[in-house]
Amino acid sequence: MGEQTFTDLERRDTERHLLVAVDESKNSKRAVMYVADFFGSFKDIFITLLSIIPDPSEDYFATDEEKTKWLDEKKQVLEESLAGYKEILLGAGFKENQVMILLSVRQCTSIGDAIVEEQDKQRCCIVVVGRRGISHNEEFIFGSTSSKVLHHAKNCAVMVVE
Amino acid sequence: MENLSALSIEAARTLIAELMGPDRVPEKMKVITDTSDFFRIEYNDVVVLGETPYWIKGYEKEGRFGLDDEPKYWVRRAIDLTNGATKVIKLVFHEEFETRVGNSVIKCFRSPKKEARILDLVAKQINFMHGHWVLDLAGNNVRILEFIHGRRYDDIVAEYGTGHHDYFHNYFPVVLDQYIVLVKAIKFLHDNGEKHGDIRRDHIIYDRELNTNRWIDFDYNYMHIESMFGFDLHGLGNILIFLAGRGDILVPDLYNNQREVFEKLWGEDLNISYKNRVANLRKVYPYIPASLNLILLHFSLGANIFYDATDQMLDDLAKAREDVLKLTGR
Repeated sequence: MGEQTFTDLERRDTERHLLVAVDESKNSKRAVMYVADFFGSFKDIFITLLSIIPDPSEDYFATDEEKTKWLDEKKQVLEESLAGYKEILLGAGFKENQVMILLSVRQCTSIGDAIVEEQDKQRCCIVVVGRRGISHNEEFIFGSTSSKVLHHAKNCAVMVVE
Repeated sequence: MENLSALSIEAARTLIAELMGPDRVPEKMKVITDTSDFFRIEYNDVVVLGETPYWIKGYEKEGRFGLDDEPKYWVRRAIDLTNGATKVIKLVFHEEFETRVGNSVIKCFRSPKKEARILDLVAKQINFMHGHWVLDLAGNNVRILEFIHGRRYDDIVAEYGTGHHDYFHNYFPVVLDQYIVLVKAIKFLHDNGEKHGDIRRDHIIYDRELNTNRWIDFDYNYMHIESMFGFDLHGLGNILIFLAGRGDILVPDLYNNQREVFEKLWGEDLNISYKNRVANLRKVYPYIPASLNLILLHFSLGANIFYDATDQMLDDLAKAREDVLKLTGR
């Protein structure tokens, strides 16, 4: 397998490309460490580290400035987490050209569906997500991103790291 | 048109005298165009919003957090001095708080902008309160709501029938149809990317002039996690459990009064959010059709699948409706 360009979609279908959906949480870090440990010795695997920030409603903020400040802070936290996760992967043996970072702010009603949409776009063969380990009641009211990905993803495998 | 933002106290008194009669003119009053400090607005003051003067009366009340009739100082009853119509005026109150479920913390907001946006969206939807919004002179988004003549729907339903059997066989088929209409109204919001945000049974008023139920108070919003509509669906489920049971079926009541039913209950039969209420009502009232009970079980501690969207719930409600009609022969 040659150099990964991350743009040649036709070639993607023949490659082993993992989408690792993360946020700043400990369970995301666990998922990245699992991927590093499990796949670190493979030379033909490519990884996209994906973080999604749902564009927050104007209702949450009294002014536009407050919204901008919230988004900037959220982006900074995620950029730092993503950089840390990349370091973990590089430390496990992945090369710089095997790992791509994608941070996306978008309008979405469900982060899980946005992850599945990105998997479809990037043509990844495996989606990896961490799991928050929420209670029954929490899942009922707030929903579960890992469950959503597990149920909605098509044409790929899903790994849920507990 | 006269510039009412510069309305004098004397002119306001004249308006009141012309519309309500000279004996109703208050001795003490203010004319207010900036509503930022809503505590400053007192009984008998005139608030000018846009080009319309409103004569302020009492504040609205709401039972909440187990307290009855908590005053809502930012929600005022008022009379439109251009035509005498009664209105409800909601002033800007930026409330923000966190609520916790398990280890998840959810940020909740009271958002005038959201309610104003939904008022525009539902202007032609009969199952919501109606009104319009105006920015006062200080830029506050004030909502001016049509007054609904009617009572809380749950209070009306709780009075139906001589007992649950009579209620379920003779009244519930109509109640279920009314409930389905309410769920379809919420589907309309969701389809348009909006949440109600505070679905509770005291937020449904039966409008006795239009003979229909209307959702009220949609200024709450919350920073949702994965499921944008989970909180709304949770509210809809609790209302259905209430309607099917003709009130909340409480575990202590069963323990004290129907021990044989209490003995049959398991933890999984209880409401997922209110663990002193029964969700599996078929164990209490065996004539409740299985298809209806199955919907209720989605909101029980034993549930392993949850509704994601109103569409899924409406599909199940259609089946339950058929079975309820078969059972009751209506």
